[in-house]
This record gives sequence, C-alpha cells and structure tokens, in this order.
Amino acid sequence: MKRSFRARLFAAFLLVSLIPLLISSALMLQVFRLRMTGTTEREAQNYLDNALSAMNDAADGFLAVRDALRESAVLRDALTGGAVGSTRVYDELYRATEGLRGYASFDIYDADGAFRWSTQSLPRVASLPTDWGALHAAAETDAAAIPFFPCEEADAGTLLRGAAALRSDSGDIAGYLVIQMDAGHFRALFSGRYGAQNDLLLLSPYWHGIYATEAGLADTLAPQLRERLMSGAVLNIADDPFLYTAARQESTGFYLVLRQPEVLTQSTMRMLYTVTATSALICVLISILMGFSYSQQISEPIRRLEQAFSRLERNELDVRVANGRETDELSRLGAEFNDMVEALSRNQEALLENQRELDEAQIRMLQAQLNPHFLGNTLDTMKWISKINKVPQVATMSADLADILRFGISPDELVPLRREAEILERYIEIQKIRLSDGFSFTLDLPPELEDCLVPKMILQPLAENAILHGLEGVENGAVEVAAEADGETLRIRVADNGRGFPAELTGAYREQEGLARGHLGLYNVDTILRKYYGEGSGLYLENVGAGGAAVTAVLPLRREEEEEC
Amino acid sequence: MKAHRAIALFLACCLTGCAAPAEPSSGYAPDEGRRLTIYTSHKEEVYRPIVREFEARTGIWVTVVTGGTNELLERIASESGAPQADVMFGGGVESLEAYREQFVPYTCAEAAHLQAQFRAEDDLWTPFSALPVVLIYNRKLVGDGELTSWSGLFDDAYRGRIAFTDPSISGSSFTGLVTLLKAVGGDEEETLRRFADALDARQLDSSGAVLSSVAEGTDLVGVTLEETARQRIASGDDIALVYPSDGTSCVPDGSALVRGCAHEENAKLFLDFTVCADAQRLLRRSFYRRSVRDDVDSAEDMPRLDELSLVDYDARAVSARRDALLMTWAFIFGGEEEP
Repeated sequence: MKRSFRARLFAAFLLVSLIPLLISSALMLQVFRLRMTGTTEREAQNYLDNALSAMNDAADGFLAVRDALRESAVLRDALTGGAVGSTRVYDELYRATEGLRGYASFDIYDADGAFRWSTQSLPRVASLPTDWGALHAAAETDAAAIPFFPCEEADAGTLLRGAAALRSDSGDIAGYLVIQMDAGHFRALFSGRYGAQNDLLLLSPYWHGIYATEAGLADTLAPQLRERLMSGAVLNIADDPFLYTAARQESTGFYLVLRQPEVLTQSTMRMLYTVTATSALICVLISILMGFSYSQQISEPIRRLEQAFSRLERNELDVRVANGRETDELSRLGAEFNDMVEALSRNQEALLENQRELDEAQIRMLQAQLNPHFLGNTLDTMKWISKINKVPQVATMSADLADILRFGISPDELVPLRREAEILERYIEIQKIRLSDGFSFTLDLPPELEDCLVPKMILQPLAENAILHGLEGVENGAVEVAAEADGETLRIRVADNGRGFPAELTGAYREQEGLARGHLGLYNVDTILRKYYGEGSGLYLENVGAGGAAVTAVLPLRREEEEEC
Repeated sequence: MKAHRAIALFLACCLTGCAAPAEPSSGYAPDEGRRLTIYTSHKEEVYRPIVREFEARTGIWVTVVTGGTNELLERIASESGAPQADVMFGGGVESLEAYREQFVPYTCAEAAHLQAQFRAEDDLWTPFSALPVVLIYNRKLVGDGELTSWSGLFDDAYRGRIAFTDPSISGSSFTGLVTLLKAVGGDEEETLRRFADALDARQLDSSGAVLSSVAEGTDLVGVTLEETARQRIASGDDIALVYPSDGTSCVPDGSALVRGCAHEENAKLFLDFTVCADAQRLLRRSFYRRSVRDDVDSAEDMPRLDELSLVDYDARAVSARRDALLMTWAFIFGGEEEP
C-alpha cells in the first residue's frame, strides 16, 4: 500500500514533468527544423538562380562569339586556304571573345579536326575526331545552341568541350570553333555564387559529373546522385548529411546541383537529443526524489498515528504522537489525536476519583451509623445499672465505653489487628457486665498477626451478632474469636455455640431481606470488606457441627506500615 | 472525439516531423522509353566514351553495371525470369555462346559491313572488336627473335617462367590454351602435358598479372591478348609482343541482346552503335583494338589481320567443349603438381 502510493506519486510527478518537456522539445525541434529548412531552401534557390544566370550569360556569350566568327570573312578565308596572315585571324578571335576568355578557351580547328588557332598559349589537343563527341555533334547540327560534351580524362584538364561548325561560302564545313572549359574556367564562372559552406556540382544532361567546386566530388557524388535519380528515389536521403537541390540550364541541358550541409547535422541532432535526454533524466530524478519525500511526509505520520492507536487500544493512555514543526493536515491530525488522548485520560482519572470519593463517603456513612447505635445501647445499660444497683461496675463500663468511643471516632480507617482485639475485649467486658456473664469469651490472636491491618470496628459487629443472636437463650454460651493467616489471606473467625444460622444462609454472605434487617452488623462489615478489598473479601457464614455458628471475615493479609497507628 | 483526434494528430506531427517537401528533381528522371541497362565486363575507359556518346546521340539514359564476364553472365542467367539487363556488352564470344539460352539473335543494322569471320552464324551476338592472342616477352631478359611460336614455349629456357593465367578464371587465357592446341597440333593430351610441364605447376590468378609478371621480370614470357600487350607497351613497359608463327586466333568479343529484356528497342540501337563506323574507329584510335568492320582499317603499326597466320578457331565448337577441356587441363595440370 505504502509502496504503491509512492509509485503513484512518482508516476504522477513524472507525467506532469516529462510530458510537457517532451512535447515542448519535439515542438521546438520541429519549428526549428521547419524554419531552417525553409531558409535553406530559399537560399538554395537563390544560389542556383545566381549560378544559372552565370551559365546563361556564358552560354549567350558563347553564342555571340560563334555568330561573330561565322560572320568573319577573314576566318572563312583563312580556313578555306586563303592567304591570310595568322595575326589577322587572332585579331578576329580575340575581338570576338573579349570578356569571355576567363570562362573558356576558344580554339579554331580545321575541317579535319586539326588544331589551327587558340586564345590559349598552348593547344590542348592537336587534333580532335570529327566523328566523335563535340565536333561530330557540331557537324550534325547547326542548332541554335552549341552542343557541349564532357571530356574524357585523357584530354588533359579539359572538362567540357563545345563545338560549332564554321562553314564556307559553299556551305561545306570549313572548320570548327571549339570552346573548352577547364576547372579554372568553372571556378571563375561560379566564384562567389554558391555559398561558402556549399558545393556546386555541374552534371551533363545525362547526369554524369563534369565539374564540382570540391575536388573529386564530380567523380564520387555524381554517380550516387544519378543512381538515386534513376531508381526514382529523391535526392535527399536520410543517411546523407547534405541537402541537394537541382536545376536545369535550358540552353545546354546541363544540370546544376547545389549541395548544402544538412540544416540539422547529426551532431546537432545528437546534441539536442542529449539535452532532451538529460532534461528527462533530471525530471525522472526529481520525480523520484519528490515522490519519495512526499510519500515519506505522508506515510511516516500515518505510521506514527497507527502505532499510537494500537498502543491506545492496549489502554496506554500516556501515548502521544510526536509532531514536527509542520503545520500540515497530518500534523493537525496528530495534535488532535494527542488532545483526544489527553481528554480521555483526564476523563478516566476524574471517573476513578469520583468512584473513590463515593466509596469513602459510603464507608464514612456506615461508620457514622455504627457509633451512635452502640453508644446508645451502652448508655442505656449504664443508665439501667446505675439506677438499679448502684454498683461499681459502672466505672468499668464507663472506662471501656470511653476507650471504644475514642477508638471509634479516631480518623484512622485501618488499624492493627491488636488494637481491634483490645477494643473487642472492652466491648466484651461491657457485654459481660450487661449480660451478667451469660457467656464465655476466648480470643486466639497469634502474635505474628498482631500488626496486621484491618478496617476499624469490624470485629465488634461480628461479636455482637454472636452474642445477641447466636447465644440468645443458650446457657454457658461461648464466643471464640480466632485469627489465622492462610498465605496472603487473613481469616478472622468468630464462632458461638448457639443455635446456628438457618441452613440457607450459610456460605458466602449474601444480602437478603430479613437477614439484613436482623443482622445489620454483618451487612455493614461485609460491605466494608468488599469495598476496601474488592471481590474475594467479605464474610462467610457456616454452622459448626455440634451446634453453633461461625462467621469468618476473609481479607487480604496486610502488614502495618512503618508508622504506628 | 474530434478534439481527441486533433490532439493525437498534433502530437503525431510533433513527434514524427511533418512530411518532407516534395522533391522537384525527380522530374528530371527519364521515362522508361528513354532508358537502357547494360551489363559490361569492359574496363571503364572502354565502355565510358561509348556509353556517353550513345547517350548524347540517342537521348537514351544508360545505366551501367560492371563486373567480370562470367559473373555478369551468371547474373543474367539467374535473372532470366525478370531480366534486369538489356544488353551484355563485352566478353569473349565463346562465353556468350556458353550462355546462348539467355540471349536472342539480332542482326544489326550495318551487319553487311562486318567481316564474315567475326559474325555469328545465327547473329546471336554482335562482335565488337577482334582480339588476337599473342605471346609477350621481357625485352631485357629475352632477345628479340628468340621466341616466335607456341612450340617455342616448350623450350627449357622458359620452363617455370611462363606467365599464364588459370584458364578457368580468364576467358582470354582459355582462348590462348585452345589456340596453342590448334597451333601445335598433334595429340591434344600430349600437348597439354608438355605445356603443363613447361609451366612447372605455376598459373597466375588474373589476366592482368601476366603483363606485370613479365614486365617485372618475374616471368620471361607470357600469353595474353594483343590489345592488352599493346596498351602496356604504349604506357612504357619494356616488353615486346609476338604473333606466333605457327598460328594465332582472333576471337572477337561481342555484345548480345538479353532475352525478354525491358528496353529491347533501345538495346538494339546500342548494338547498332557498337559496330557503327564512328565507334569502331574509336577502337583503333583509343584502345589498341581491331575493328570487326571491313571498312575500318587497323592502326598503321598493327599488322593486317590477313598477314597473320591464323588457326582454325570455331568459337561455337570450342564453347561446347569448354568444360571437358578445362577438366582435362585441371587433371593434367594438377597431376603434374604431385611429386
């Protein structure tokens, strides 16, 4: 239960922290990517337009050169065997190619493909086949555009060769204008038109690489791009860290491909993923910590409360819940628990106090009932003796009565058994005088029991009961009082040889109609014993075999404390 | 419900990234009618100018797949259910004959100009160039005129120092072995035994190694093709070639139309182009090869074909015997290996 609560807390924290994080990361990534891609695409289009316009300008310039040279009578004469000095030919050539020689070399070959004149200081190739490549195409067609051909590696640095046929007046081919471009020419043509980070790739109409701004790229990249094109796939594939944008130059049919570094490179993506993953990890850690801490904050007070309740069930009223400084709901709950336990314990104490006070009041009331009763009888007797006989026994009785009275009104509730026995003897003395020695009295008190504590004035009612009820009408009546210890129990037996109890009264003393009225003394003593010592103590009535009754007071054996009563 | 779907869509869009923008350059790809796929065993410097010129002249985009002759022929055979290739360009015609089931005969447009000795009876293949077998020797280690014929290879002076490629690996080596048998004549097994003895249990494992081995002096003499030898001589190696006086063969390599191919019309155009005068002149000009046309002369420094003594070499018959002969050779050559 506790664990699952913690797990749920953790999951909740994780959800509320991780989901917004992931969503915002993904969103930011997408927005970022879209913006960057858009920018890159516009940039690519700009660069390509720029490079294409350079190509268009060059192509237009080449056409102008071709047209100028086709018009040139000097060149025509020179090619058809006329006696024309080469300086004049060069003059024509240089004039026609003004401003374009940085982008190409312009050569004149004769009808057999043999080199004649060039704007370059060195001829690239001494002769060109007229049945192959550029010259063949030029001879086949006098189209508006100049046919350009990629050159084979053998052709010493020339990457692209275009040719145009120059015809004699009769319409036969007199020679060829050959326009050749090498890497330097392309560098000049595309310089500053493709972006510092990017590369430009020039492809033939059939997507064979011709020139690339990065060395070697034409040989390595072009076949890959061609394969992608031919297989119908897009140029930009997932594994390639570059973006490609292609455009076609209309007059030559050549293609330009701009290669841009991927907007979000692998390493950028890795970094972004790492940041996201780290944030997620932090979220997880915080969630674990928070989940742990909050569940601790909740489960720990609950555990303490639970323990306190179980102790309370075992009636340990001193239990309290320890509360920290927090003022949250659980702490208030703990405080309320403490208040409740305190109130409970106060209530219980008050209850006990009440009960004890009640018991004491009852005892005092019983004791107060005894004294006037006995006092009245004694005083009646004294009055009777002194009136009739004028005998000295009055003095004795008076002394005894005085002792008994003093004892009776003393504040002690528990007295040593010795004192109780003395008072009993006084009482017997008085009764003997009263009853004219109508009975014998024996007291058997073992010395070791003399200092046992017993409630005050419990023997007198028992003896009175024996004398008044047991010995009524009995000659040679005898009252025997004996105390004995039985383990932790003190038994004080008051026996007579009278007529005994009715059989139904024997055994433990029971409150009964009739008996209580006749034996108010027994009732009081029994009540006092039980109130003092609880159940188990009290009076037991029995009939003794040869006639006579015995009342035994049973009470716990308690020794006198240090101080004398 | 709608809201849920919108949220789901939004999340999906977030997490997967939105669709990539349409790719404009795919519009530059040619349609099927302007495509051709060629399997070629030619070296790049041979096939490249021919393919490029073909593209420029016809507007057909060519996809080139390169590999060894037997490898590509095997591939064509394995793809016979759905052919990828339209044309097999290159490979000795005996090799093409061995896979004749994969090809369909085609009589090219200028067939009349092809020399009869280089044409297939049924036009199953179209010849491309004539490739005589020659002997080469290291000019520093072997005097000029010392080696003139196939039987000269049996001289004790060359024993164990003859560069010869395993004929089961190299088609030209196999042609050389057959030519040797025809030129020396007599009992075939006896000749093979003598040749195996002369090789002293050494065969090379690629045809290019013959030239290097002789040029470096590891071997004194070697068996190779005229074209290869001339190319190495032109690039400066100090070796010389001999057209054996007891006869050589001049087996052409060729091209063939793949049966059931996807671009048959374009393939036929390509076969026509390989034997057109312009392309055949390129052979002479750039590749040290002999044209198979009757109107294109060999280079000036090459002896004319009719000046050479040629053995009677029937490509189709040799092709039919190829496996049996290779097995016999392996048996004899291997038997000699044991002490």
